[in-house]
Amino acid sequence: MPQLVSFADIAGYWLGIFLTFCILSFLYKDNPFYKFAEHLFIGVSIGFIIIEQYFSTLHPFLVEKLADKVWLALVPLVLCLMMFTKAVSKRLSWLSRYPLAFFVALYAGFAIKTVQADLGEQMKLSMQDLDAEKVNINTAPEAQLSQLPGLTPPVAKQIVERRAQVPFEKVDDIGQLDLTPGQRDLLADGRGSLIGLDAKAAARDGEKDLFRIFSQVLLLLGLLSSLVYFYFSIEQKGAVGKVSRFGVWILMIGFGASFGYTVQGRLSLAIGRAMDVLGKDKDPLLADRIHGPLVAIVSIAVIVLGIVLWELRLRRAGKPPVP
Amino acid sequence: MTADRLERSAKPPRTLAERLTTFDRRWIFLAMGLAIVIPLLYPLNLPFKPSPMVIALYDTVESLKEEDVVYLSVDLDPASTPELEPFFRAVVLHLKRKNIKIAIGSTWYSAPPLIERWVRDVVEPPQGIPGEDGYQGAPDRPYKKNADYAWLGFREGKEAVINRLGSDLQGNYSGRTSDGTPISSIPWLKDKKRLADFDLVILVSAGSPGAKEFVQQVQTRYSIPMVASVTSVMTTDLTPYYQAKQLLGLAGGMLASAEYEQLVGKPGLGAKAADVLSVGHLVVILAIVFGNIIYFTSRPGGVRWLRRLRRRGGGR
Repeated sequence: MPQLVSFADIAGYWLGIFLTFCILSFLYKDNPFYKFAEHLFIGVSIGFIIIEQYFSTLHPFLVEKLADKVWLALVPLVLCLMMFTKAVSKRLSWLSRYPLAFFVALYAGFAIKTVQADLGEQMKLSMQDLDAEKVNINTAPEAQLSQLPGLTPPVAKQIVERRAQVPFEKVDDIGQLDLTPGQRDLLADGRGSLIGLDAKAAARDGEKDLFRIFSQVLLLLGLLSSLVYFYFSIEQKGAVGKVSRFGVWILMIGFGASFGYTVQGRLSLAIGRAMDVLGKDKDPLLADRIHGPLVAIVSIAVIVLGIVLWELRLRRAGKPPVP
Repeated sequence: MTADRLERSAKPPRTLAERLTTFDRRWIFLAMGLAIVIPLLYPLNLPFKPSPMVIALYDTVESLKEEDVVYLSVDLDPASTPELEPFFRAVVLHLKRKNIKIAIGSTWYSAPPLIERWVRDVVEPPQGIPGEDGYQGAPDRPYKKNADYAWLGFREGKEAVINRLGSDLQGNYSGRTSDGTPISSIPWLKDKKRLADFDLVILVSAGSPGAKEFVQQVQTRYSIPMVASVTSVMTTDLTPYYQAKQLLGLAGGMLASAEYEQLVGKPGLGAKAADVLSVGHLVVILAIVFGNIIYFTSRPGGVRWLRRLRRRGGGR
């Protein structure tokens, strides 16, 4: 609630904006403002970790347990102290191997579980029937209908209600439902005989979903050819080389998708900071009290002036400029 | 004229390839900065449609019944809030308007301060007031601590904690919520001994441990219905789990959060950012095209190759 925000909170927002621009000043070059923000961030992070770990882990699971005379809590304490022997004494450093061995064994156990989730279930997925039929809009469950292109959950609900009275004769009949202009636009966008609604849905059983069949064949070929690329026991030339080459293309498409998502992630970080600076993520009353854009301009001015003075000082002292 | 300027003036004029390869990358940062700030100040309201993975997530939450209980694991840090906070807000509104009880936990030490703020701002007060902030949907009601929601707290231990949540949730939290209330005194939570007892597990994850570890350690073993909202970089890793139905729905990144907001009917932080993402991506695409032009022109004979292409295209 903006009226309850204290001056200390407002000053905190100002500091956040100033530190954002301190970090961004690295785009010009390494400079004292960037260094200040970087060191402050590391210091505050470490302080936060220590406090949070003490109160959420060490205090309830060690201090309180020992106070309650639960002597079993001494086991992790001893293991923890053994880790430090490496730093304290060369003669006793071998003791640190025991807690490490304990952790390696523990996490190896956890890693075994991933075989079932990652290998078992994914193998099941890749061994699906290559034959695929279109979704029958007269019999499919509502959740399945809502995942069809151009259909939203409310439209799927209407389909289920309508088919209970009069079954659909063709996919076009969905357009006869009582749809909002937005739903109608979405439906029109979702139509299409290659990958759209018409390709995936039908009003009777037995029609083939050719795109899904193609997708499943592609999945199988992509999986097998990618595996061939990682098979090093035979020389990758001739037919094997060509299959392996196809596998590389599949991998590259995967990396491309990952790169695209990574770009989106990094952009999101920048958007988050921009929203914070411009006050777009706050209540308008609070944003008015913070005056983010004004604080941003003042911060930029202070940093630019500071960097100019710093450069002049370096020049006067005859020191080489920072690259 | 100084010696430096004399020396520079004596240099032969630089070729196009040389000029392009020494292009200052800070111009791209500036373009990106403008691409982010301008659409925020002057929204373009570019259209976007919910993707099948997000619709599946929405449908899974929508299929819950009144008084069902969900476990909401919020595993994130401040850096990931632009991507995940919009989803958290939207899904909490979705749950609240369906009158569903929420148990919140975390496996990230940096999450509790954020969660406690969001609980104050989003979980406790009503969020869905029809007509306000463009909200189209049923109204929700204020939620009370331990009566409608419970904040169980953070536990260190990564996969070990996730494993224990699968077999002994109450033991993992020492039988108490973060404010010390015994779980046995909360009627809707006392019978939830492990994750499989919940009607749905919703994961809001920014990395490891998070959605991937939940699927690996407990979902597959106990067949727990699970959905996840994750950061963009995790999306490609988790999509196979969605395809294999290990996750019943998946929202990846800020745009997916905006899509979820759209489905819930309350445009929020994600919707504001969707415009910026579109313009920002356009700048990245142009930068990639520009980088490729630089690459091809800087190759031996690269510019000649371009000239030849131009001659062919222009008919000269």
